[in-house]
Amino acid sequence: MATIELTNVTKRYGDTMALSDLDLTVRKGTIYGFLGPNGAGKSTTINLLLDFARPTAGSVRVFGHDPQDESRTIRKRTGILPEGFDLYDRLTGRQHLDFAIESKGVDDDPEAILERVGIAEAADRKVGGYSKGMAQRLALGAALIGEPELLILDEPSTGLDPAGARDMRTIIREERDRGATIFFSSHILGQVDAVCDRVGILRDGALVAEDTVEGLREATSAKTTLRVTVDQVPENASEQLLTYAGVSEVAIEDTTLVVSCESDVKTTVLDTLETEGATVQDFTTEESSLEELFMAYTEGTEVRT
Amino acid sequence: MSVIAIAKKDFRDAMRSWVLIALIVLFALFTVGGAYISTQIAGLLGDAGDQPLDILFALQTPASFLIPIIGLMVGYKAIAGERESGSLKFLLGLPHSRRDVVLGKVLGRTGVVTVAIVIGFAVGIVAIFGFTGSFSLVEYLAFTLVTLLLGLTFVSIAVGISAATGSTTRAAVGIVSLIGLFWLLWGFIGQLLLYLITGSIVPEPPMPDWYLLYSVIPPGGGYGLAADAVLPTDGQFGVGMLAGDDVPFFAEPWFGFVILAVWIIVPLALGYWRFSRVDL
Repeated sequence: MATIELTNVTKRYGDTMALSDLDLTVRKGTIYGFLGPNGAGKSTTINLLLDFARPTAGSVRVFGHDPQDESRTIRKRTGILPEGFDLYDRLTGRQHLDFAIESKGVDDDPEAILERVGIAEAADRKVGGYSKGMAQRLALGAALIGEPELLILDEPSTGLDPAGARDMRTIIREERDRGATIFFSSHILGQVDAVCDRVGILRDGALVAEDTVEGLREATSAKTTLRVTVDQVPENASEQLLTYAGVSEVAIEDTTLVVSCESDVKTTVLDTLETEGATVQDFTTEESSLEELFMAYTEGTEVRT
Repeated sequence: MSVIAIAKKDFRDAMRSWVLIALIVLFALFTVGGAYISTQIAGLLGDAGDQPLDILFALQTPASFLIPIIGLMVGYKAIAGERESGSLKFLLGLPHSRRDVVLGKVLGRTGVVTVAIVIGFAVGIVAIFGFTGSFSLVEYLAFTLVTLLLGLTFVSIAVGISAATGSTTRAAVGIVSLIGLFWLLWGFIGQLLLYLITGSIVPEPPMPDWYLLYSVIPPGGGYGLAADAVLPTDGQFGVGMLAGDDVPFFAEPWFGFVILAVWIIVPLALGYWRFSRVDL
């Protein structure tokens, strides 16, 4: 069953198109990493889920409810860590959690939550004196209250040091293992690929790729660029190589062949050139990483607000 | 439930603000000052009349001037400030509706103004007792309640403006314009109209009906009438004294509550209407 379902969603702010015809499905019990550069439309998507903003067109459903009509029902079952939020400087960490516990109508123990997010020692200090990372931990703690079925985390690692980011990933996994669905956005691939069951890459308000982390990795590592320098290029080398199913492109620059192919035909390419009478003097391979794929999908985008 | 949780949180938060504490102290100073001056004047005139009422009359001046300002100051950032800083995202990340937020804010901030009024008037009681050796508790309490209503009115106006605007700057411009309108322009325009129509700046009562209506429209006009409704003042606080024998219904004391109710409901409804439709 889909916990989150967006169908043909468009969101325009004045003349700016923030989302165009976005389709997105997040299945129950999975960790979905919503990846994209700043300004791609990640926060806009999350704002639509929370009814902080309303779509220009299309349908948004969370647990099958429309956020515009049943926002409270959705938020009762959801823990939210928003992006660019602020807390109440004059209240303590414990007072924030007390308020969140009362708001959700549950009876969680603030102490245990503070312990879990690692700020137990700052419980009774005013939040105005917290660092960015501590505020982030406190807000995560508030999101965890009441064992929500869905966690929506917008750029959760903001302001966290590496240890904090690791704690965050641990908590995300624990919550998934408890049965929660987790939808979180990030502009940094490294935060996503370690924990996500599924990844969607957003660019310019549209989903440009969606797969499991392994799927994306396979798709990319399959693509190899092989550069072979030979003493002389055999006459029909190009035609010969293109007969192999794994070879997609051959370009010849002087005595260098640039072959785009799948990883497992690399040796076949080299063997063929030798058989055709060329002597291989040098060769390099360039495997594209997931990081490069991400860059390829997302670079060149303009930063929009 | 949600409204109460927000109101409690908001009250706790706002009570820790230094600006608010300064306003409470200022108001307490004014009530003591008002009590002192009025007892001195009463003493000088050898007035053996209704002293407690005279003192309330003296307190009405600081109250009708300062309570609106305190209400507006306490309320104008209530929602716009949270939108600006981003704490509204935390608040609405919890299962509260936008209506809960508006109502919770009005309650919480009214609680804050109530603290200011209760402290100010408690200090006033002590001062009056010190100066005169007596005071009338029942009348004092009635006057306090009506003043609380005035506080609620201005908190509602301020929260309404705060809900309608996305920035504290615009909300501040809104409340300053309102203060300018009701404290400076309204009276001036009224006098001007009176002069143009009757040919006299200070005509003898009874005043024309249109002028009475004009005078009771601002929240302060409603406050004066409402005070007359609960105190044996003979229409001294409101416009009753200015009317002739045939007092129009809108110059009768009970109408003060209608005026205040309109000023509580309409700005809030408009502010909420705008706030409920906007992208945050």
